[in-house]
Amino acid sequence: MRRVAVIGVLLIIGAMLFYAIGKMPPMNSRNTPDKTHVVPRYLEKGEEEGGARNIITGVILNYRGYDTMGEVTVIFSALCAVVALLDREKRGLSRSGPDASGVRSSIIVRTVVRFAFPVILFFAVAYMMLHGEASPGGGFQGGAILGASVIVFTLAFGLPESTRRMPLKVRTPLESTAMIGFLSMGFIGIAYGVNFLTYLLPGVHGTIAQTIRNLMITVIELGIGIGGGIIFISIVFAMMREDKFELRPDIPQP
Amino acid sequence: MNWTLNLLLLMFLLTTAAVAISLRDLLAAAIVFSAYSLMMAILWTQLRAPDLALTEAAVGAGVTTVLFVITIFKTTRRED
Amino acid sequence: MNFGRIFHNLNYAVSALLFLIGLYTVAVKPNLIKKLIGLNIMETSVFLFIVSVGMVDEGVAPIVTGGYKAAEAVGRVVNPIPQALILTGIVVAVSTTAVALSLCLKIYERYGILNATEILGREEP
Repeated sequence: MRRVAVIGVLLIIGAMLFYAIGKMPPMNSRNTPDKTHVVPRYLEKGEEEGGARNIITGVILNYRGYDTMGEVTVIFSALCAVVALLDREKRGLSRSGPDASGVRSSIIVRTVVRFAFPVILFFAVAYMMLHGEASPGGGFQGGAILGASVIVFTLAFGLPESTRRMPLKVRTPLESTAMIGFLSMGFIGIAYGVNFLTYLLPGVHGTIAQTIRNLMITVIELGIGIGGGIIFISIVFAMMREDKFELRPDIPQP
Repeated sequence: MNWTLNLLLLMFLLTTAAVAISLRDLLAAAIVFSAYSLMMAILWTQLRAPDLALTEAAVGAGVTTVLFVITIFKTTRRED
Repeated sequence: MNFGRIFHNLNYAVSALLFLIGLYTVAVKPNLIKKLIGLNIMETSVFLFIVSVGMVDEGVAPIVTGGYKAAEAVGRVVNPIPQALILTGIVVAVSTTAVALSLCLKIYERYGILNATEILGREEP
């Protein structure tokens, strides 16, 4: 009965969606207002106002910088929520030790990961984060690849090895670099008397202004990248810990 | 735009989505969901969005799939 | 409902279908992990829709290599604004998936199963 009701509601929603799609202008059309008014303005002025040759980096760090700050807040709160839910060590409920299975990966996997890991790390930091303003890339893309590379390392070598190389006291200060980068660059604007998170300071003109703006954008990108990557790593470490919880006796065993 | 490639990618997208929700083995559903992420990443490349393709590939295959597999290993593997 | 128009807007139609598939999964399937997979499918379908609006036939990616003039940029470069918005959306999607999966782990710790109808004590649909 519930399934029939859900399918009925879905058919109504589907009919509304397809009716609306039929009325939209066709895809790839060149004379809709967003392509005649919005796109040329942002392409023409995007490089000199945004500060980056990659227009998307210019948009997310300059035109819509508050949105990126909100995104960093979201991912940081996700880390706080995961650690608050799953961190059992403080309450003395965990018995985390070596891996539960004790099975090592095959030698092919270990050798390939040992070769590939520094290459991926270099690609993520040097090409994505630092060169991200002139090529496809940017802060968060580099951070996601950084996090994924350490996750691959953890899957190949096991969690204790990975936790030994990146313990909690190394991860904890690095997790907040994203927020610290944004707030410090933002308060520089307030210290000079202009808006929060502005890159055009009132005392400087000319090429010095461009250099300062590029420097601030690079600091924010590095902060987002490293912070986002370490946050992903911490989330996966927090979920992966092999501690054995005991179900309460009144709950049926799985 | 290459209509054939676009049509193929969209058909693959629908197929992997329909398969991922109807498998009863949850681990297989997570892996097919990773294939869905891959199809979406190629579609971003086709739509001329390289930043989105990089992010979707790294996040979809690197983080979301790993999180799903870790959760499935720590909980039940069958659906019912 | 003009069917020729729907075929020309194929990306939009597939995104609507994916949204309906995801909504069906969240509403009907009792397993929590399946509901999360359906939620992710819904999110990515909306991303596909928004970025497809900015697509231009035979366009290039919005990365300046030689400088653009406004008049010739209309027909050649893809709209960069939806891509910048969806980049934030992808990050938010993975964050909510991570929190939801850790909630699933806690639910399994407390109840022993991951079946929504049995946990809530209702009868089968």
